[in-house]
Amino acid sequence: MQIKKRLAKIFVYSVLTITLLTSLFPIFWTISTSFKKRVDTFALPPKFFNFSPTMDNYKKLFSDPTFVKVYLNTILFTLGAAFLSICIGSLAAYALARNPRFRGKTTFEILLILLRAMPGVVLIVPLYDLCSKLHLLGELPVLITIITVFNLPFTIWMLTPFFAAIPIELEEAGMVDGLSTWQIFRQIVIPLALPGISAAAIFLSLLTWNEFLVPVILGDQSTQTLPVLISGFISARTLDWGPMAAASSLAIIPIAVLTVFVQRKLVVGLSLGALKE
Amino acid sequence: MRGARLASVGKSSRAPLAFSLPAWILIIPIFILPLGLGLYLSVFDKSLGFPQPINFVGLANFQSDVKNSNFYSAVKVTAQFMAIAVFIQIPIGIFLAMVLHSASKFASMFRSSLLIPMLLTPVAVALMWRFMFSSELGIINWVLDKMTLAQPDWLGSVTAAFFAVAIVDSWQSIPFVVLITLAGLAAMPVAPQEAAMIDGASTIQRIRYVTLPLLKPVLLVILLIRIIDSFKLFDIIFILTRGGPGTATQTLSMLDYNTAFTFLATSRAAAIGVVLALMSLPLYYLWKKVISVSS
Repeated sequence: MQIKKRLAKIFVYSVLTITLLTSLFPIFWTISTSFKKRVDTFALPPKFFNFSPTMDNYKKLFSDPTFVKVYLNTILFTLGAAFLSICIGSLAAYALARNPRFRGKTTFEILLILLRAMPGVVLIVPLYDLCSKLHLLGELPVLITIITVFNLPFTIWMLTPFFAAIPIELEEAGMVDGLSTWQIFRQIVIPLALPGISAAAIFLSLLTWNEFLVPVILGDQSTQTLPVLISGFISARTLDWGPMAAASSLAIIPIAVLTVFVQRKLVVGLSLGALKE
Repeated sequence: MRGARLASVGKSSRAPLAFSLPAWILIIPIFILPLGLGLYLSVFDKSLGFPQPINFVGLANFQSDVKNSNFYSAVKVTAQFMAIAVFIQIPIGIFLAMVLHSASKFASMFRSSLLIPMLLTPVAVALMWRFMFSSELGIINWVLDKMTLAQPDWLGSVTAAFFAVAIVDSWQSIPFVVLITLAGLAAMPVAPQEAAMIDGASTIQRIRYVTLPLLKPVLLVILLIRIIDSFKLFDIIFILTRGGPGTATQTLSMLDYNTAFTFLATSRAAAIGVVLALMSLPLYYLWKKVISVSS
């Protein structure tokens, strides 16, 4: 029995170690490549640690004013979309959480599921046609509004359980005090839902930060975001892996840091709201 | 339903409608209108390449889709990626979640590091894998060489390119399966497990007859989401292969994209979009079914 237990333990930890190495190696490789000189990036055998680190790739990126602009664009796009999503989403999620039935509820829920299930390109083709007719291509507010709708299912499914969990008695007390529906929402519900709202805001920021299709098709040079810039590296004639790895690192490091903090909250958002924590 | 007791939002029918109004104001122009416009465009012969007068062509775009071998190849490739998700990623994910669940030490450290890949920018991730996949100087082929294994031309050969995309997708998606399964395992009652142990059930028997049946609602959610997301797979393919070599990794999404933005055939792309929209309708019924099982 003792030996069997020992073997089981060895099995468990070797599986986990292999998994750990597999999931972290590409990230390590990206970051280490970003600190390598050009000669070291393609050295064989590969240089894992035995290279002299350089900041040249980052210097090269940041000396280009477009890159700074792109990073700022990405931050604006991300924060704008998270903010708009939370505003629109908490209103709708509150209505869904508190009302078993109301006009348009079923239609609304069907639309959310379809929006989640449909490939983005289905909407992007007609949206491109529409935006080019209306001269709305390359406008950051337009991109923010569109990505907010694309992310709406996540927003609603993540927020609804938080609103549903607020004790109804608190709202009834507010009514007795003569507060209007809006005042109850604003003064009682929102403060209580704040932990849920912040978790949703972080999750939506991750989704928007990573978004590629919307900014690459409906944006232009002036609204370029990091994923769009990164995708541009592959069409460049000479593949310059150093700066490319540096740009990729700057895209993934903020997320890797955030992931560690929000992982538990993500279950709700990622599972269509079908599972509660 | 506790909510029904709240008079302010519950009884008057206008308040909830008013609260969902801002969402409607955005959904109508950005979701419903494009769907309608896509349907409209699909029966014309609009093309960005040739700004000529646009004619009504009826169902010709759909007919040429049906005749087009690229379309069938895209259906096949999409189905193959779905099969990888369902038959490879989900079993591996469940296995890893069970292993992780049984680990007492370092569990949260393992979990955090396992989950990072899931949320990283797919475009950046795919680009780095592209670097690692490069056939002459990439690290993957270097390792294969050291192990005296065959070194495929990862992104250049038909079969290898498919597996390259599948590997990168699995690297990002298996953590999702693990995370959700772990949540299910953590919420599972301990009593049935203990009862099975007292009855002398082996580990395999317990997994087969106790754990998996209890996990069924969670597993259905995972199945649904993996089907949806493999149907939508786009960014990784765009960076790794753009659907190539030839049409080896061209999914329906990629075909739609290439038709619209490489060949500039707006109406033909809209027709593919209509077909894709129709294909996502069954997912709605699947979703309904999953919800009814898991609640």
